Amino acid sequence: MNKRKISDKINKSDTSNQTQKKPETQKTNKTKKRLNITFRTSRKINAVVFLLPWLIGFLLFFAVPIYSSVVYSFSKTEVGEQGGMSLEFNGFDNYKALFQTEVSSTGIQFARMFLEENARIFLNTPVIMTFSLFCAILVNVKFKGRGLARVVFFLPIIIGLNVVQKLIAVSTGSDFVDSSVGAFFSDGFIMRLLLNNTFLPISVAAFIAQATEEVFSLASKCGVQTLIFLAGLQSISGALYEVAKIEGANAYETFWKITIPMLSNVIVFVVVYSFVDLFLSSPVSEEIYMFAFRRGQIGTGAALSTVYMLNVLADLLILLFALTKLTKGGNTDA
Amino acid sequence: MLDAAQRRIKGAIFKFFFLTLVIGLCFAILYPLLKILPVVTSDFSDLGNPDVIWIPVKTSLMSFRAAISLGFGNGRTMLLTAVYCAAITFIQIMISAFAGYSLGRVKFLFSSVVMVLVIVTIVTPPQALLISQYLRFKQFDVLGIVSLLNNGKPMDLINKPYVLYVLALTGFGVKQSIFVFIFRQFFSSLPMELEEAALIDGCGFYKTFFKIALPNAVPAITTVASLAFVWNYGDTYYTGYFHPDGPYIANTLTRIFADNQDNISKVLNVIQRRYMVPSVSNFVFDATKHAAALIYLSPLLAMYFAAQKKLVESFERSGIVG
Repeated sequence: MNKRKISDKINKSDTSNQTQKKPETQKTNKTKKRLNITFRTSRKINAVVFLLPWLIGFLLFFAVPIYSSVVYSFSKTEVGEQGGMSLEFNGFDNYKALFQTEVSSTGIQFARMFLEENARIFLNTPVIMTFSLFCAILVNVKFKGRGLARVVFFLPIIIGLNVVQKLIAVSTGSDFVDSSVGAFFSDGFIMRLLLNNTFLPISVAAFIAQATEEVFSLASKCGVQTLIFLAGLQSISGALYEVAKIEGANAYETFWKITIPMLSNVIVFVVVYSFVDLFLSSPVSEEIYMFAFRRGQIGTGAALSTVYMLNVLADLLILLFALTKLTKGGNTDA
Repeated sequence: MLDAAQRRIKGAIFKFFFLTLVIGLCFAILYPLLKILPVVTSDFSDLGNPDVIWIPVKTSLMSFRAAISLGFGNGRTMLLTAVYCAAITFIQIMISAFAGYSLGRVKFLFSSVVMVLVIVTIVTPPQALLISQYLRFKQFDVLGIVSLLNNGKPMDLINKPYVLYVLALTGFGVKQSIFVFIFRQFFSSLPMELEEAALIDGCGFYKTFFKIALPNAVPAITTVASLAFVWNYGDTYYTGYFHPDGPYIANTLTRIFADNQDNISKVLNVIQRRYMVPSVSNFVFDATKHAAALIYLSPLLAMYFAAQKKLVESFERSGIVG
């Protein structure tokens, strides 16, 4: 680190000397070239200096923790007298214990918990994405009171905070408003509507009905996503739509042939974001804390967090693969 | 003639459905807030009355008073939280802007690798790192330097505020990787000519950054600042695990209004004694909790409404879109 700074200083003085000399000396090809190289390298070194805090953080608080948590997960841990820890390699024992004998604080087996979490996240991600895209398209249209509508549509960024959700949840007794609203807004009604008037199979209809039932909790998760989509929509040039109109495309075609392809990067970003956001709210994190600090089973807790992390990464890979397949070679650098 | 009339009718019908949809969605989003309004404004004796749905029979601000005396006290916690959030937000902006600038502007060895690492840190949930980070801070030491300064013992940083600042200073505060990403996207879309002009006028790397790049990054800064402030204000994970006894309003409220039966009866007891209410039902607990939520939200909402136009504008131009 120190070395780098020193060399950086040297480099800086180098370049400044040269820039001072520049007017005096004749600019032959050679000096120009040398100047160019030093300038570039000094720029690179400066860039690394700028990145240094993040790199240190990455090493100290990301790479090393991941490494040590994998190490813990393969060992029997005991807290020593001086507060240090003694580790003893015990192979896959922690993992075996986690999936065979341990149960979560709510009495669910972990294999089942992971399965349910994954199902929840994979079902909810497309719903959130569609919903927020829909919202973004709505508030992108010009109409009276659009400013106000936008304010409301982005409000979930604030209302969706975990604390707020906890505080405005009803913890005791019954919720009169909820039941009165639910009386004429029930999933049974939507279910009947869908089954009688469309050809959807019952499982799909049930899923849609359930999603509409949960529209309130859904809306509270969509603030940031709506915002990102709106920004994406605004960045599409209007000329494209004009051309489409002249060529005689209708709104439906314009949406699928222009809006969606132009948004493909944004869609990837939004999907990844909502995916991670959903994982953050999963109950697994509390279980990790419980294992490690309330039951003193650091090894098992570390095994749980390793599995959890691998699960997130594997799911993301599947998701990205599916997305690139869907958008067909849309360049996805996010 | 007929055609024009037809079109007008068509437009009116479309407008009607469109506005219905927008208003309906607005209602769906606001519903959680709307439905607690009658609860918090009605009198304690009125709570639990099944006839009352939207309009309370007897209004009173009792629940707000109870919430303030239970959760907010003299406002010191709130103030300290605001100061803490402002400080952390500032640190997060600076560190993320540094990292984002060097990633978006300069190509150096491994710069694309570092970018991939940033994305990996975005998608890795911090909970997965909880144990080892916690243990690390419990015995904090970097290459033996901290031990040397601290009489040969590593420092115990848990339950001290330093951890949160250290994390923010090294780019791993609340969702900070996303901020690095936003800055990177923004800076890489700035025209290169700006920097070239600065260079010709004799600006070095640092001067270019502070005099040219940063002032031009106002949209990105506003976006990151507002998101960072809101997320830090609402954070219970970092503050809760690394500094549980600290004065953070989000944590204090979650603790005071925890959902278990013991706590509920304790809170109800306090309310009953303090306000001489003849009988308290569980509804009173909820009403107080909701009132606390509204008070907790009020500074955020005020700020949001005051700056909403600016915010939306800067969100649009912040380069979040890849």
